[in-house]
Amino acid sequence: MEKKKIIEFKGIRKVFPGVVALKGFDLAIYEKEILGLVGENGAGKSTLMKIMTGNYQPDGGQFLLRGQPIVLGGSMEAIEHGIGMVFQEGSILPNLTVTENLFLCHEKEFSKGWFISESAMVAEARKALEENGLDINPTTLCGNLSPAQRQMVEITRLLWLSRLYRHENPILILDEPTTVLLEKEIKTLFEILNRIKEHATVILISHRLEEIIENSDRIVVLKDGDYVTEMPGKAADIFKIEQLMVGRDMVEGYYRRNEQVDPTDTVVLEVKDLAIESILEPISFTLHKGEILALVGLIGSGKEELVKCLGGSMQATQGSIYRNGKRISIKQPKHAIAHAIGYIPIDRRIEGLATDLDIADNINMLVYKKLKSRGFINKRKERDNANHWMGVVKVKATSHRMKCGNLSGGNQQKVVLGKWLSADAEILIVDHPTRGIDVGAKDEIYHHIRQLAKQGKSMIIMCDTLEEDIGLCNRMLILKDGKKVNEVSCPPDAKPAPTDIIESIV
Amino acid sequence: MQKDGIGKQPAIKRIKGRVAGLPAISYALGMLVLFIVIFAVGSATFLTRYNMLTIGNSAAILLAVAMGQVFAILTGGIDLSVGGIMSLVSVVLMKTLEPLGFWAYPLSLAVGIAAGFLNGLINSRFRIPSFITTLGSNGIFMSIAYMISIKPLSAPSSSFGVLDIVNGTTLGIRNIMLLGVLIFMLFFVIQRYTITGRNIMLLGSNEKMSWLSGVDIFKVRTIAFTLSGFGAALAGVMLASNLYSGYPTLGTVYILNSIASVVIGGTAMTGGAGGVLNTLVGVMVMSVINNGMNIIGIDVYAQQSFLGVLVIIAVAISFDRSKLSVIK
Repeated sequence: MEKKKIIEFKGIRKVFPGVVALKGFDLAIYEKEILGLVGENGAGKSTLMKIMTGNYQPDGGQFLLRGQPIVLGGSMEAIEHGIGMVFQEGSILPNLTVTENLFLCHEKEFSKGWFISESAMVAEARKALEENGLDINPTTLCGNLSPAQRQMVEITRLLWLSRLYRHENPILILDEPTTVLLEKEIKTLFEILNRIKEHATVILISHRLEEIIENSDRIVVLKDGDYVTEMPGKAADIFKIEQLMVGRDMVEGYYRRNEQVDPTDTVVLEVKDLAIESILEPISFTLHKGEILALVGLIGSGKEELVKCLGGSMQATQGSIYRNGKRISIKQPKHAIAHAIGYIPIDRRIEGLATDLDIADNINMLVYKKLKSRGFINKRKERDNANHWMGVVKVKATSHRMKCGNLSGGNQQKVVLGKWLSADAEILIVDHPTRGIDVGAKDEIYHHIRQLAKQGKSMIIMCDTLEEDIGLCNRMLILKDGKKVNEVSCPPDAKPAPTDIIESIV
Repeated sequence: MQKDGIGKQPAIKRIKGRVAGLPAISYALGMLVLFIVIFAVGSATFLTRYNMLTIGNSAAILLAVAMGQVFAILTGGIDLSVGGIMSLVSVVLMKTLEPLGFWAYPLSLAVGIAAGFLNGLINSRFRIPSFITTLGSNGIFMSIAYMISIKPLSAPSSSFGVLDIVNGTTLGIRNIMLLGVLIFMLFFVIQRYTITGRNIMLLGSNEKMSWLSGVDIFKVRTIAFTLSGFGAALAGVMLASNLYSGYPTLGTVYILNSIASVVIGGTAMTGGAGGVLNTLVGVMVMSVINNGMNIIGIDVYAQQSFLGVLVIIAVAISFDRSKLSVIK
């Protein structure tokens, strides 16, 4: 059956000062399909999305919606035309109820004279939620919902709005919808999306290619602002897509396995019976010089809290930590830093960087003492130190005075890494090193992790996927419900299969 | 006809769009030039040597208090007690000039520093927002000043010589201006070339990250407010010496004027952006406007509303609102 085109881009072009974001390509999006849009950061995905939602105006070419050329002035106009976007961070107000969020700014649809009928709103909300198969009480505060439920409310809102504006086939854009979701919730999300597809178009952006392949009808690959190719979903090959996205071969071994080195026998960190009341039962383990230790477990397994105790942002209720054989006490992050333990957080923009400050400020912040001469910070030393570490971790930027907020996710991560290396951290706690980073930059981060291990740095990692954990680490600790359940060795030539590990995790 | 998407943008965004990429300080510099031209055209006396000295004189005092204020604002806080501190310091200075002579100066400065330290301590240790802390302490400082003397205190004629520290001239230049330059240099160096200054920027930019990176946020916050107290104390002794008197409401107008100087200079109220150099320009703008309005003969009461409008416009143009998700 020939599907109808709902959106068509003809020679679409968008230029920003210094960079061509979209190079003028054609792309058609059809009714009733799930389209996966993939590409590295900077490939043009988000620019294209922002044109569709009216946040950007194209500089050239045509944007046809339902066969008609159109210019959208903003998200509200886009919604009136049946195009809605679910943002990565979500746009639900936690202090309002589900009903209030659903009909925000459209309360007058329920007005009787001067007043708004609360009961009519709740009834309509219940109906709308049920249509999408959601079991959510419309009178609960959104702040009490799980991230997954909030996302569903957002989707329901967009679908309801498109019906309000009488659109047969709404277009739903989802930007990295699964980053905040649990495994089970991801499954539910896609079940719902597949159902929505019966009468809508879903456009999916995600760094998790597995998801895209599994759930998209069609995958479009973008690179450097240009259309590369497209392929049917399901049958697509992940490695093929990655190659297309990056534009070069990645055959040298995923996770740079071939660069893995064996750790030395020197114990740099020993944890003895460390416990946190009602979260973590006494756990003991060691970390060797040059070792990459993966902590694996579900949310609630206690691994996040365990590393927080090592980084100093949380305190254990019992147990002890030994650094190079000497007992240490870590009550605050500064104590951990004093013992050369660095923490690379999961949320770079909130916990890892001062995004308003420049690269030099961020790289130098821990070592200002070393950059002084005659009592004052020396500008030249500051610049040299920043440039040195920018070079080591290969930050791509025009100058060390560039604002960190303007860097891509990968480059921001490298700045955070540079900051800790500059401070001579011997042990790095790396919380989801490749979260929200595109394939090419991921590989660079893997490379850095391997290099650091080779230089004798020790790392405790927690990754986005189990495959990444297995691929990167020398050894893994598996935690479940606050207990250590297993310890698995992962030498480069005999990595365990993910299926074997999963059994002990769940 | 296609709709013009640009037409949807708010007016402010359009104005900003045209001069996008310019640092915040350039708006303030533009304003400075604009007002100098307006007043120079509007009045023959504006550009005279005598008037320039008058501007310099008042600028030096405003500079001192604004140099302190900017540190409080860089942490993301605000110091509403600078007026109370200035007043208290002026009264302490006048009260102690007779018995202590020169030593009344260090004593008065110490009182201001202690007041700032107290603000910082309450703000950081008890986690009370600086807005509330300093709003409350401003009243306390003023009330202490009233308790010392309900009437304005004049400098005893025997101590006029000591007051020359501020009022005299050195090598043909007024001491108060030299003090202004020294104060600027001191605070500039503190902000740009000391670890504390850098940590204040870090803290204002991202507090959670600063803590995770080992910054002692209690200490840094306390130091920032102590510096603010120090700036206000300097302004207090300069103004009191200049007027040969001290009284419990002497500093009140400097609360708004110092904050306005900082903001006009382009320092973000959210902290972490801007600084001492920006504030220097903001102080110049404020001093030129205050003086110019007098010279071209704008009614004293109308001046207040003009200043109010100006501060709001300045914030509209220069304030980096991209950092805020919600304007409160």
